[in-house]
Amino acid sequence: MLVHKVWDQQKEDNWLRLLRSGDHGAFARFIDKYKETVFLCCRRLGLREDEVEDVASETFLAAYNGISRYSGRAELSTWLWSIAYRQAVSYLRKNRRQWRLEAEADESRQVGSDKEQEPAAAIQGKETEKIVWEAVERLPRLWAMAIILYYREEKSIIDIAKIMQAKENTIKTYLFRARQRLKKALTPAFGEDIDVGG
Amino acid sequence: MLADRLNKDDKFDEMLGRALRSSSEPVPTDFTERMLGRIRRAEEQKILAHVVLQERLALAGCIVFGAAAIVAVAAFPGAIAAVFQSIAGSFAERGGALVDRIPQTIEAVRGQWQLYTVLAAMAGFAVYSLVDLLAGDRLRTA
Repeated sequence: MLVHKVWDQQKEDNWLRLLRSGDHGAFARFIDKYKETVFLCCRRLGLREDEVEDVASETFLAAYNGISRYSGRAELSTWLWSIAYRQAVSYLRKNRRQWRLEAEADESRQVGSDKEQEPAAAIQGKETEKIVWEAVERLPRLWAMAIILYYREEKSIIDIAKIMQAKENTIKTYLFRARQRLKKALTPAFGEDIDVGG
Repeated sequence: MLADRLNKDDKFDEMLGRALRSSSEPVPTDFTERMLGRIRRAEEQKILAHVVLQERLALAGCIVFGAAAIVAVAAFPGAIAAVFQSIAGSFAERGGALVDRIPQTIEAVRGQWQLYTVLAAMAGFAVYSLVDLLAGDRLRTA
């Protein structure tokens, strides 16, 4: 078991060394490993389908150019998330002047809107995964991003704050409010089976 | 604290995490290949831009040296002629006795060191430019 762990670590170190030296094979593996993550980030921040690939390409190009400076202090995925987030936000700010305003206006949206609470009958029969994603999609973008990073990517609050260039308390607030809203939206689908705690 | 109320161990959080993790994000099938192609093209452009810059520097060096030499000859014709005559004379007439003339040459250089410094710098730059122009690529790729 320990031997396997050491072997895996050595393989990982070797791969990182190749990545830093600009090896194309190692970078192809890097793209394969993280492309879904980058596409997810771009889509959830509100980029249109025709823009997603451009921004994802820019993200990987920036990663390729900056990988020699990657110190290894943060996880590789956290480092890439930061780049993808910055690229997507900078694209949105440059190309859609109203983006920030929309993201903020989103947050003031009330839970009781028509879209927010689907009737239980409409929800029944859908797969759990689909229902949860639909609920996450309806969250304000920054909240959804925090939720995805916390629950899907299992990042710490500190890492999420770094990725989203926000204060830790802001991230905690996003997570708390998003969780409350998700709880409210998902209760009709899952009933009392879910112990929602706080 | 708000974060204290987020508990990954409770059922809701567990279900949320599981549902979000189990999905996959659609990505164009040939994205990796296209991305690598784009990286290769970007690298080629970078190398090309570097080579073009080197060539331009080399060409600029030749032009600057040529122009400076013309200006130097026009501004200090006597001094330049004396230098060349002194060197040529030393080689042609004195031959092996050149060594004896070194102290005098040093004296001559010491007298007009500013001019010789400028000429030496220009000559150095010209040699660099010519070497880079003729063999720069081969040296860079070696």
